[in-house]
Amino acid sequence: MDQPPLSVEPLLTMTGIAKHFGGVMAVQDVDLTLGRGEVVAIVGDNGAGKSTLIKVLTGVHVPDEGVITLEGRQVSITSKRASQALGIEAVYQDLGLVDTLDAAGNVFLGHELKRYILGIPFLRNARMAEEAARVLKENVGIELEDITVPTHNLSGGQRQAVAIARAIYNTDLKILVMDEPTAALGPEETRNTLKLMRRLKDQGISLIVISHNLDHVFAVADRVMVMRGGRVAATLDCKSSTKQDVLAHIIAATDGNVAA
Amino acid sequence: MAIAASASVGRANRRREVPWIERYINILGPLVMILTLCLVMAFADPRFFRVQNIMIILQDASIYMVLAMGMTLVITGRGIDLSIGSVAALAAVVMAMLIKDVGVNVYVAMLIAVLVGLACGFMNGFVITKLRVPDLIATLSMDLVFRGFALVLAAGVVLARFPDPLVWLGRGRVFEVVPVAAIVGITVLVIGFVIYRYTPLGRYAVAIGGNTEAAVLTGIDVTRHKMFQYMLMGGLAGLAGVMLTGRLNAIQATAGMGLTLHTIAAVVVGGTTLFGGRGSMAGSLVGVLLLSMVVNALVLLRLDFFWQQVAAGVIIITSVAFYAALQDPGKGGVSGLVRRLGGGAR
Ligand SMILES: Nc1ncnc2c1ncn2[C@@H]1O[C@H](COP(=O)(O)OP(=O)(O)OP(=O)(O)O)[C@@H](O)[C@H]1O
Ligand SMILES: [Mg+2]
Repeated sequence: MDQPPLSVEPLLTMTGIAKHFGGVMAVQDVDLTLGRGEVVAIVGDNGAGKSTLIKVLTGVHVPDEGVITLEGRQVSITSKRASQALGIEAVYQDLGLVDTLDAAGNVFLGHELKRYILGIPFLRNARMAEEAARVLKENVGIELEDITVPTHNLSGGQRQAVAIARAIYNTDLKILVMDEPTAALGPEETRNTLKLMRRLKDQGISLIVISHNLDHVFAVADRVMVMRGGRVAATLDCKSSTKQDVLAHIIAATDGNVAA
Repeated sequence: MAIAASASVGRANRRREVPWIERYINILGPLVMILTLCLVMAFADPRFFRVQNIMIILQDASIYMVLAMGMTLVITGRGIDLSIGSVAALAAVVMAMLIKDVGVNVYVAMLIAVLVGLACGFMNGFVITKLRVPDLIATLSMDLVFRGFALVLAAGVVLARFPDPLVWLGRGRVFEVVPVAAIVGITVLVIGFVIYRYTPLGRYAVAIGGNTEAAVLTGIDVTRHKMFQYMLMGGLAGLAGVMLTGRLNAIQATAGMGLTLHTIAAVVVGGTTLFGGRGSMAGSLVGVLLLSMVVNALVLLRLDFFWQQVAAGVIIITSVAFYAALQDPGKGGVSGLVRRLGGGAR
């Protein structure tokens, strides 16, 4: 079993993960480690099993085989809720926002601030708007001109920021999983999202990012894991390798198993 | 009009800005129709504006106000309740028989009517959440069930002449002017407004209607909230049945047939979308008033009942088409509409 060198005990380890759909082996014998505040990128061709792997982590799929440990303890992640309870959140472009609610409504969804009058819970809308604006500004680095517009009217990057703000605010967020976070964004929003990822890393949050764009990968990631045919083709250190190295592993015809 | 983007937000993928008008369009739309109607009536029949007539309109609108409150919440939660007319009839028949045949105290009987409505709402909610029958089919079927019970109970009899408190609720006037029923209706809608805006019940109706999956993921108990929405709707339908009985001072099992669609129409005209996730109590109030004013105008103009039906249909289609046009991103929403109409300012 090849493992990249780690200075401290890893935050997360996934070992020997396998998942098949009928006859398709979507993921097979995959190992992944993630340190605190580390950014790991997963790259690979379409159908390589990237999404399936992270869905195992976020509780969407239950793996056929494999062990997951978090902070040294073995955990079983059987549902999205279980994964969230462990401090693991996934942000997809369109998932999880109620687009007819505003940013504050979304950030606090299910965890609203309330005030009880005669035992009846009333929403503290003004307070929530303030708090949401603060989290968005301080933790996510984004300022909305008008925090009361439905998120439906926000841009892709802004909506993503709202989803991340919610993840940060509501859970003791340890790991944020992002599946192609920049896929639908324009150049400026992409820059903002990359900046945001670095910001989260600085806050000690670990990131797993799936991307098809190696420029983005090298802009934020510490390590990059290349997947091919459901297996790990290579894990490379971003500092000591180049885009060409990664590309070679993505398209290589042979099953190289390279550890950094 | 150019929009200044702050430094931290990208311009590239930015969607359109929401001008203030878009937030209130659901109220402004029907208000414009109301003003148009007033303009027409100013020429066609000034009796329309007499205080007495306005009070008649309010009186007529009151029952729909009560029903619209529940319906706004139900539709926002991406549900629909097609059984409310029958619930109102069943609750009213039960109350009437308790008063006339059993001699139950009128206040107690009125309370029981509301409880009957609640029970009907509970059954709707149960069928929808536990038996997983889609809202439309469930309430359409339960409509038959509730109506059937009402018919069995009343057996074709018209029950009439009720104690004063009931009649006062239905057709009484405060200071000889303002209909009691209208005060009840507006109070119910104000409570609805508070529930919608300022309590988790309203917030979660929006969340469930807007993105059920997201609501479930954040731990919102969808079953519980749907149950609540349908039970509130049922209880209010029971109250509507009480008010209807009081107004007519008579009730029969076939009463309230048109209540359901009229209520849904008013709510939809007020900007609550049938796709769920977006609604407005204030809009529903304006929608209810618009429909009642149209019906009243047509009566004043001595147009047939059939024309009232046609008018109601046309208003609903106009409103819904209007909202659909606003939602069309290709046309740039309200700002686009305003631009196309040549008004520069947003
Ligand atoms: N729910 C599913 N049911 C059946 N097969 C699935 C399912 N999800 C994924 N697969 C299959 O598993 C394989 C891996 O898919 P996966 O979505 O993980 O790839 P990916 O690396 O994320 O690809 P892409 O870059 O296109 O998103 C594919 O062959 C896919 O068809
Ligand atoms: Mg994928």
